[in-house]
Amino acid sequence: MRLLFIILFFSSFSFSAEGDFNCGTIECDNFSADTTDLASLQSGLTTYMNNCYGCHSLKYSRYNRVAKDLKIPIEIYQENLIFDGSKPGELMNISLNEKDAVEWIGAKPPDLTLEARIRKPEWIYTYLRTYYPDASRPYGVNNKVYQNVSMPNVLEDLQLNLSAAEFDKVIYDLTNFLVYVADPSANERKRIGVYVLLFLLLFTSFAYLTYREFKKELK
Amino acid sequence: MAANEKNSGGIVNWFDTRFPVTDLLERHLSKYPAPTNLNFWYLFGFLMIVVLAMQILTGLWLMMNYTNTAEEAFSSVEYIMRDVEYGWLLRYMHAAGASAFFALIYLHMFRGMMYGSYRKPRELIWVGGWVTYVLLCAEGFTGYVLPWGQMSFWAAQVIISLLGSIPIIGEDLATWIRGDYLISGITLSRLFAFHVVLLPIMIIAVVFFHILALHEIGSNNPDGIDIKKHVDKDGVPLDSKPFYPYDITHDIYALGVFLLIFCSVVFFFPEGGGYVLEYVNFEPANPLSTPAHIVPSWYFTPFYAMLRAVDFSLFGFTAKFLGFVTMAAGIAIFAALPWLDRSPVKSIRYKGILSKAFLAGFVVSFFVLGYLGAVPPSDLKNLLAKVFTVVYFSYFLLMPIYTRLEKCKPVPERAPGH
Repeated sequence: MRLLFIILFFSSFSFSAEGDFNCGTIECDNFSADTTDLASLQSGLTTYMNNCYGCHSLKYSRYNRVAKDLKIPIEIYQENLIFDGSKPGELMNISLNEKDAVEWIGAKPPDLTLEARIRKPEWIYTYLRTYYPDASRPYGVNNKVYQNVSMPNVLEDLQLNLSAAEFDKVIYDLTNFLVYVADPSANERKRIGVYVLLFLLLFTSFAYLTYREFKKELK
Repeated sequence: MAANEKNSGGIVNWFDTRFPVTDLLERHLSKYPAPTNLNFWYLFGFLMIVVLAMQILTGLWLMMNYTNTAEEAFSSVEYIMRDVEYGWLLRYMHAAGASAFFALIYLHMFRGMMYGSYRKPRELIWVGGWVTYVLLCAEGFTGYVLPWGQMSFWAAQVIISLLGSIPIIGEDLATWIRGDYLISGITLSRLFAFHVVLLPIMIIAVVFFHILALHEIGSNNPDGIDIKKHVDKDGVPLDSKPFYPYDITHDIYALGVFLLIFCSVVFFFPEGGGYVLEYVNFEPANPLSTPAHIVPSWYFTPFYAMLRAVDFSLFGFTAKFLGFVTMAAGIAIFAALPWLDRSPVKSIRYKGILSKAFLAGFVVSFFVLGYLGAVPPSDLKNLLAKVFTVVYFSYFLLMPIYTRLEKCKPVPERAPGH
């Protein structure tokens, strides 16, 4: 009887999910985030602030939280990465408002604080590397992952000046940074988690031994 | 306990003469006679008490920083995740706690179904547990709306609009529940009030009744035997052991195992692959943009599949209304189990092949419907959903017949290995 249930239980999972490509018209490239790589996160932050932040806010995050987590001295951060005189404790809002955005570029660029959680990081990583020329589009470019996207290929200059490998690294760092900013407590969470699980293993071992002692008594 | 006859002093004695603390604790906890043959299926009730306490505590602290308005709700959740000390831990625990609660209650209910725990004289305990489950569904639904993400908004839209399918009064009822013509900030703040005040109070009250009633009547056991038939000279059942220390040590061991799994999710997989926290819900609610696939939380997907399976109108009722009725019936029908089961024995161990087959059919249909409710529909899947909805209900509706037809094994007088 028990075996029957176990078999039935697992057989009900054997349906596989079918689907289209997971990155628009293509398969996503592999991406494995490493939010402990501070150099990568710092490079990603720099790319973000210089190329993306004009249009895409990070409005749930604070400047000084990013500075602290990425171990960037706040003075250096303030001098080089805060362009509008915001205070370090403020949320990372941008000055572009919705009305102007719609008028100038046709749509309001979304806030990207949680982008890496809404879409998968591999989606972002693939998307930013798959712009191609398309004369039918307003900016002359289209994207394999996000068909008919309204965003121009902002990183085109970088793409032209860097080797393919160098550009991939820039996008890797940028995506890595977005993964960090979507869940900034992840590193601390995993660090604490190890101790929690070690404690629970110890606790459960002793709980088991106690249970076993009393069980013997019953027989 | 005749505590008032004791002349010795002491704080305990002082209380005992005014309120029977010792007697109460002994009857409900330390000396509660639990059957000797209980197995691991009997651990989930205890674990749910722990999860309930955890949900109340984490919920209390979340509430200190959450804002229940359409404008601020989403950003207040991110504020908790980023600016509140260990806010991420509170939020992840509360979210995973909701999933854990449902996983445990389904196991707990299945235990009752396997061993006939709902049978006489435990009908009220079963119905009390079922009321807790229904309240928990309401608690889960209202809580899911509060982060005010895309799925929060659209799940609320779908579920509340189902009420609109009720003939004549439907639309007015849905508007009354929403407090608006669409899901809005008004809906959010009333669901918040239900989630943090009304429903928790009701859940605690019903759980209290459930446990009190259980301790008065006594636990069932995997063999479905009545342990009160054979008692010692003090009236304690021979096939029982006191809760302390024999069951409490088992429960604490189980708690350790449970917390290992639970904390692995909270600390290493807080999104639970999109089942604990859905990816779409990290996008703020947008009434103008409907997500491609609206799916409820995993613990509602079997019933959601039933709703979608009914795609035909009948007797002048719309498909939507019939689907809604089917879904509600899928949840409601558990309450009728004590009166559907006509078997001379309680436990599946002594029931015949028909009961075993139908119970297996129920389990398979629950999982298959759970899967079907979580994925986008197709023609084949819709057909499967229809078939398994029928299998699901046949377990309940044919029970009065098959439990009388089959040949049962004799039930022993005493617990095995006494």
